[in-house]
Amino acid sequence: MGQSLDFEFIQENDRAVLLFHGMTGSPFEMKKLGRALFDAGFDVYCYCLPGHGTSPVSIKTVRWEDWYQDSTGHYRDLTKKYKEVYLGGLCMGAVLALAIASEYKDVKGILSLSTTLFLDGWTIPWYNFLMPIGLHTILRYYYSFPEREPYGLKNEVLRKKVAALQKKNTVALDNYPMSCIYELVKMSRVAQKNMYKVKAPVLLMHAKEDDLTSPKSAEFVYKNISSSIREYIELENSYHLVVMDNERDFVFSKCIEFLNRISEYKNEKFEVLV
Amino acid sequence: MVLDSISKIIAQFPNSLLAIIVTNVILIFGFAIGKLALYKFENKVKFMALYTVFISVVLVLYFISILWFSISNLYNGNAVYAAIFPIFLFLPFIIGHFASYERIHFYTNVQILTLIISLLLAVSFI
Repeated sequence: MGQSLDFEFIQENDRAVLLFHGMTGSPFEMKKLGRALFDAGFDVYCYCLPGHGTSPVSIKTVRWEDWYQDSTGHYRDLTKKYKEVYLGGLCMGAVLALAIASEYKDVKGILSLSTTLFLDGWTIPWYNFLMPIGLHTILRYYYSFPEREPYGLKNEVLRKKVAALQKKNTVALDNYPMSCIYELVKMSRVAQKNMYKVKAPVLLMHAKEDDLTSPKSAEFVYKNISSSIREYIELENSYHLVVMDNERDFVFSKCIEFLNRISEYKNEKFEVLV
Repeated sequence: MVLDSISKIIAQFPNSLLAIIVTNVILIFGFAIGKLALYKFENKVKFMALYTVFISVVLVLYFISILWFSISNLYNGNAVYAAIFPIFLFLPFIIGHFASYERIHFYTNVQILTLIISLLLAVSFI
């Protein structure tokens, strides 16, 4: 099941984008963005992160180093084939992209969407103050933070569809295991510590009303990276899943516009199709 | 008659000691039940969330009672108790650091064992 969720849109371009999905998500959530980027002249790759897309148990056994090693492996493979390789990620995937860019100086650019460095959105439960105890004791293997309305979506039609999918438990998990959050927190700390090493151009997009992580995360990145080209766009009509929500077309066009601006290999066929 | 004498004995205990005994007993049973229920109720996310929140709250109370017990012992000149008990503040985090999902039953047993040791130490104060 894991492998079938991966996608690759290839047309022998000079530039490629490696996308990373979010925590407990799957490449499915990045597919529309991937398609838009491909139509704009980029080859696009997105792979299921270790522990995702298989059984709910496997995500509890995975470590952030597994995500990092797997992703850097894909990145290194792409750098052998393409002149320009960009990284893009949603939620945890954005943190992963920034962490990779802090180590690999040849990353050409980063699309950092709904960056999740801090879990401080408005749907985080009232008992969040107990999180350090849950995270750092054996309780993290017992607790799962239940995914609840609005499922990261402001668009009500989409929300209903996702709720139906959650019931069928098909594409993504209907909860965030605390052990997975623990690994994200560890990766976030490493990323925060090394943020100043990021020199690649970065486009940050974050919803003002993000239900999972407030704009504080994006602001932290914006302030602490060393990139000479950095752009931060705050979205007014979306929640966490900005690549699926009300402003997805705007997100896609801004991503394409940004990548084309920093690219040395502009595709003449380029046009914003969204 | 028996209950009366037990309650009279308990009434003589310092409050900090009572707090340690009560939180310890709840945690021992809590972790034991959690261990038995982990795989059975793993898919009942809301139930497991409530269970974990409950155990976390009791853990906080346990930490407070340990501090309370240690400080009152330090104040009363029982330096040994005052020095030993703070170790139990760190043990859940040390166990948590090494724990893994694959060996969760083992680490839960270790956690229960440390709670039993702290309970016995607290009772030895009597």
